[in-house]
Amino acid sequence: MRQAKQAIKIIRRSPYQALAATLAMSLTFFITSIFVILIIGGQIVLNYIEQRPQVIAFFKDDAKESQINEVMEKVKSTNLIKDVKYVSKEEALAIYRERNKDEPLLLESVTADFLPASIDISVKKAQDINEVTKLIKENPLVERVITPENLVEQLVKWTKTIRTGGIVFVSTLLAVSFLIIIMVIGMRIALRRDEISIMSLVGATKWYISKPFFIEGAFYGVVGASIAVFLTYVLILFYSPNIQQFLGPIQVFPIDPLFFIYLWLGEMLCAVSIGIVGASIALYRYLKIK
Amino acid sequence: MIKFESVNKKYHSGETALEDISVTIENGDFVFVVGTSGAGKSTLLKLITREILPTSGHIYFNDQDILKIPRSKVPILRRRIGTVFQDFKLLLTKTVFENVAVPLEVLSQKESTIEREVSTVLEKVGLLEKANSFPLQLSGGEIQRTAIARAIVSKPEILLADEPTGDLDPKNSLDIVRLLEKINQDDKTIVIMATHNAQVVNHFKKRVIVLDKGKIVKDEKEGKYETS
Repeated sequence: MRQAKQAIKIIRRSPYQALAATLAMSLTFFITSIFVILIIGGQIVLNYIEQRPQVIAFFKDDAKESQINEVMEKVKSTNLIKDVKYVSKEEALAIYRERNKDEPLLLESVTADFLPASIDISVKKAQDINEVTKLIKENPLVERVITPENLVEQLVKWTKTIRTGGIVFVSTLLAVSFLIIIMVIGMRIALRRDEISIMSLVGATKWYISKPFFIEGAFYGVVGASIAVFLTYVLILFYSPNIQQFLGPIQVFPIDPLFFIYLWLGEMLCAVSIGIVGASIALYRYLKIK
Repeated sequence: MIKFESVNKKYHSGETALEDISVTIENGDFVFVVGTSGAGKSTLLKLITREILPTSGHIYFNDQDILKIPRSKVPILRRRIGTVFQDFKLLLTKTVFENVAVPLEVLSQKESTIEREVSTVLEKVGLLEKANSFPLQLSGGEIQRTAIARAIVSKPEILLADEPTGDLDPKNSLDIVRLLEKINQDDKTIVIMATHNAQVVNHFKKRVIVLDKGKIVKDEKEGKYETS
């Protein structure tokens, strides 16, 4: 308790250094939170798209159901497929009618013979779409293949870029925070050199002398991570209706409040570790006890 | 009891600070260690607190070779020794009370115990009314008494005083040594005082160990310090 009071006293004596360390931590973990949400959100969008049929193959009019079944079996045998569904001419007509039920003109004179039979294919991994499409196109019974390959490819690419960029950016910020903690605590040790020397000479253990600095490092972690998660929560609360409107049927928001609690705990653990390890390095580097 | 056995200390610069020092100081002793500047007085005291290590020899504190104490246990040794430093080493941002409380805080004593012990010791050194003053508001004698109060507050077995009368006038010097003598008599604390103040040494008629160029040249009970 006395050391905690001591740590608070040290922080209050040089508030600007404390502010610099806290802001560095807050910024680092705020950016981390944003990237975490972007990565998880991107994954939700990707999962949604991956669950939709990604390849639709339309067959020529003369293709028989048994021949289509053979194509389905061949596609399934690749092991790249999550699901294949046969849509007959009649089912296609039913879908067509459902989609255009408000426009009677479009329904007139359209019979099942006008529409082709098709198969809807969902792949296990988005990156396999091209291979599956190529395989189906080779079949002479297939007239046309529709695939949202570009969208999925773009999405996969963006998700990867955000992930990689996030890791690089956040790592850099973490390193900066880490160095700021070392610098701030190093300065504190230098400022308290006389006091440390006296404490050592009257019998203080190294741990007793070091404890306030560890508490200070952990304090920056707790406060920094808390501010970061609070700002993220407010930001998400404010912008989530607009983002959700943009995403349409892909349900990303509202985010479960439990997520923010986990995020706060996780970031706090990480931030406190940085604070404590930073303090340890500063103590190792600058604390010289005779 | 403090026992030096064939202790030598040579600094990295090559300067020999102490040479073949063998001396025993019994419990309850009051000893003046005298000599000119550079004679090795401060080195001798620093060896007892293990601020520095000897080049060779042994130093015993109650039959325990302090050189064999692991680094992590040195704080425990230091808690048994009170030191009045030549440059006082008071913290200017702390009050007299807070400065004196440092050794007890290090021992993780309760606030109430610290309050009681510090008040008692400040009364003993005559500084109770100055408890809330800062070192810069004190006279030379009061600064020295604050340093003594801090050295004795944890009731050490040995009190080391390195030139405690260095910057004081003769009257204050005598008062400080009287205070050390009282501590020695009341608590049976070993007092080892390093000084080059012949007037003080000759006034008190205590044991005198004379150092010259790192060697003990005289060790007398009720001795005198004769400066040339």
